[in-house]
Parts: sequence; structure tokens; C-alpha cells
Amino acid sequence: MAKTENGRPSVDMGSIRTLNSSHLEDESSLGSDSEINGFTSERQTDRYGFIGGAQQYSEESAQDVPPEVLRQREVKWLDMLSHWDKWMIKRFNKVRLRCQKGIPPALRGRAWLYLSGGKVKREQNQGKFQELDSQPGDPKWIDVIEKDLHRQFPFHEMFVSRGGHGQQDLFRVLKAYTLYRPEEGYCQAQAPIAAVLLMHMPAEDAFWGLVQICEKYLPGYYSPGLEAIQLDGEILFALLRRSSPIAFRHLEKHKIDPILYMTEWFMCAFSRTLPWASVLRVWDMFLCDGVKIIFRVGLVLLKCTLGTREKLKTCQGLYETMELLRAIDPRYMQEGFLVRE
Amino acid sequence: MSESYDFLFKFLVIGNAGTGKSCLLHQFIEKRFKDESNHTIGVEFGSKIISVVNKMVKLQIWDTAGQERFRSVTRSYYRGAAGALLVYDITSRETYNTLTTWLSDARMLASQNIVIILCGNKKDLDADREVTFLEASRFAQENELMFLETSALTGENVEEAFVQCARKILNKIESGELDPERMGSGIQYGDAALRQLRSPRRAQPQGAQECGC
Repeated sequence: MAKTENGRPSVDMGSIRTLNSSHLEDESSLGSDSEINGFTSERQTDRYGFIGGAQQYSEESAQDVPPEVLRQREVKWLDMLSHWDKWMIKRFNKVRLRCQKGIPPALRGRAWLYLSGGKVKREQNQGKFQELDSQPGDPKWIDVIEKDLHRQFPFHEMFVSRGGHGQQDLFRVLKAYTLYRPEEGYCQAQAPIAAVLLMHMPAEDAFWGLVQICEKYLPGYYSPGLEAIQLDGEILFALLRRSSPIAFRHLEKHKIDPILYMTEWFMCAFSRTLPWASVLRVWDMFLCDGVKIIFRVGLVLLKCTLGTREKLKTCQGLYETMELLRAIDPRYMQEGFLVRE
Repeated sequence: MSESYDFLFKFLVIGNAGTGKSCLLHQFIEKRFKDESNHTIGVEFGSKIISVVNKMVKLQIWDTAGQERFRSVTRSYYRGAAGALLVYDITSRETYNTLTTWLSDARMLASQNIVIILCGNKKDLDADREVTFLEASRFAQENELMFLETSALTGENVEEAFVQCARKILNKIESGELDPERMGSGIQYGDAALRQLRSPRRAQPQGAQECGC
């Protein structure tokens, strides 16, 4: 090997930026793997069910809601959920406001199903999921889906064990979708979406939630060709011109195509980018208001990360910029900050 | 400490979904198998400085999503890549069968001169092998690719794959076959090389040889 041939010491200045590495400052922090290796002996889950990884609960990223406030919110949400149609028609602004404040964790799954229209879809299609669930599915899709089952939130207790109930349900939901929309099939970015839903609701509900997200919230995002995501990339870039001209000019100058940084953000609705507390808050608003929430979060992150000349001094090229966008300062992803912005 | 290197090469890792592209990258950079990983949506990337034939070379590696429908998206990364690892899974004939498509994408979108090494990954799963060494090696010869079987799990041949690819690019630079100055070559001079170039002894009229096309 060249390294030893010439007698020079091996230089290892490697750095890697991977999906959930938002807290990485230097190479050594990648060592989180060792924590993972230890989880069999001492597994502790956080309040969201994570046993490790960068998205785990941290005091800095989450806001604690006092118990009395939470009780009050639960009462309000229970009332809304029991008179849902009336609330949606007559007092939608109030519903939106309450989504912005954050849906109480105990009611989040139900609220998401109602907000997304998944509940109505389920009722209109009684027995449909069971029918799809009982069919074998196209081997072409089964093969790809199976490869992805252990690669969704591997740090979450629900998905951590191979062949465990989380992975089984994920398989059922994704396979059912390929049978429901055979012309669309399976897109790898659907898996995290389905997994987030499954953390909050049973498989049938998660299936209808996924249907709604794929067809109403982010139509075309997962279709062969991925045109819709590319179009939204261009729209995001156009919006950035107004919200942060400095960031816009920088990306333009270095010819950094939106598709390079926003694909995962948008296709996974930030579920693999933000700390978990923020993911949930963003989804509360996203399922209420739709894709514009995703655009807003994207603009905030771009503006905070690339919005001043000072920040851009250190990133003189495509690679450096991408690195910066992969390691967004946690303070900009804090739930309170994001919701305010 | 500031990084010092002679050259910077842009690399790609391409190939079907689930062939272990991200794990190869991770093994190369971290020298460790990444067991708990997400699949790639869009892109991942990493960089590392290696020493190849007395030169310090910084590799800037772009690791792409493998699923067919992401191709329209991942193509944007190809521009100006100097080298590529084209990865298939030795236990999956299907991943081998699509190599031609990946190859033509790489040559068309990155550069005609892109140096490609074919990697038959998951060498550790020999019991489930569906693609023999010999047929892959023949494919590599016919298509002017280098070839190695690798294991991102054990680390076998992982570093070699990157180093061999980098070495071949260096050779081509030295023989004049590749011109780092050309736009989109995927090669840049590092600080160390620039210092050498600027020193009077080596003051070659770099500008004079532009546009040999």
C-alpha cells in the first residue's frame, strides 16, 4: 500500500458528514457508534423512544411544557377531536394555533390522523388495508423494501431489532402502498415518513396517513422521475432570494443546485434532519398547514446557516457549503426557535 | 492544524441501492463498519487525506442514493468527478446487471476520462455469492475498469479501492493524459502543490497549455 511504501506516517484527517450528524464538530464525535455498541447491556430510551443517535432528546433542543399546561391542552384537544368537523370548518385558525403550540404527546397520533384526513380515508375505505395487507405484493418492490427495513431510525426502540414488530409493520405499510398505487411503487424516501407515522399509530392508520402525505401533502415527491421535488427545489431557491439574499447569492455563485441540499429535508419532511422534539413540532404544523411549513423551515435553516458574510468566509466552495448545511448549529434547530421563526 | 495536500480529487460512489456504498465510505474514513445506518436519500459525503506515491491527496467523496428513481437527482453530483467507485453486491446478480447503466451515466455526466474502479462488495458473504470473480473481472477488462472485491464489513480492500483509483489518476496526471487545469477535471491543486508550482525551479508556463481540445 502506498501509505507504507514511502514510509510516511499515515495521515488520517478524515471527516465524514452523515445524515444525523448535526452535532458533529470534529471527527471524534463520530464515536457515537461506540455508544451504540453498548446498548445491549444498558439500553436507555429517551422520552421519544430513541436509544442513541443525534436526534435523541436533549435539554437544549426541547422545551418542557409544565404538566398543568399539558393537561389543559389535552382537554382542549380532546374537545376538538370529538367535534372535529365543526372545528375544522368554523374555527380552523384556532386549530392551527394549537398545532403551532404543539400537540400533546398523548394525543398526537390521533390528531395527526385527523389533521391529515387519514381518518376519513380509512372510513371511506373500510377493509381496504386488510385486503392489501393479505396480498403478496410485487417481488420487485418487496426486495427493495426489505433492504430498507433495518435502515429506518435504527436508534429508535421500535425499529432497532431485525424482524421486530416495528420493522414488520413498516413492511406491511410500505408494501400495501405499492399495491394501492402500483404505478408509483416504492420510493426509499417513503420509509422514514411511514416510520414516523408508525411511532404514533397502528399500521392501518399509518398507511392512510402515508397515503395522504404522498397524495395530498407532497404530491409527486415520490413518483418515478422525482420531478415534483426538483420543482420545489427551484421554488425554495426563488423564495430564498427574498428571505436571504446573501445565502441566495452564495448558492448561486457556487452553482449549488437546490437538489443537493434540500432533497432529504423535503422528501423526509425533516424527519432525519432535526432533533426529535423539533421533528414533532414541525410535523404538527406540517400536517395542519401543508408543505409551506417545510418551505419555511428550509428557508430558516438556510438563512441561519448561510445568511451572513461572516459565516460564508469559511466556506468557499460546494463541498464546504454542503458540510455546513449538514452540520447545522443545534440552536437553529431547537423547537422553540424553529416554531417562532 | 491546517490541511496540507498536493491534490484534491473529487470522487463518486455509485451503484444500486443496498450494495453498501455508504458503508464503504464509512469504512474508508472511519475504519469501522457502520451497522446502524440510514439508507441514503440524496447524498452523503466525506473527505480524507491519503498518501499516494509520495503525494498527499485529499479525496472528497460523494456517496449517492442508489434507487433508480433518485438518478435524476443524483446526477447533479456527477459533474466534474475525477474518480468513481462503481459498486455492486456479489450476492445480488441484479445489482451486477445494472452496471452498464451506471457506467454510461458516469462517463457521460462526469467526464470521459473519469477513472473508475469496480467494487464487488460484500465479499464476506461468499456463501451467498451470485456473481463470480472471473465474470466481473472480465466485465472490468472489457470496460477498462479496475476491479477489486471488497468488504465494507471487514474492511478488506476498502482502502485499496480508493488508493488504487487515486494512484491511477496521479499517473495520468504525470503522463499528461489528465490535465488538472482543465475545467471539470475534478482535480484541484492543494496548497502544497501550489507552493511547488510557484517556486522558480518548477515555474512551468501552466497557462500556455490550456485548451488542448
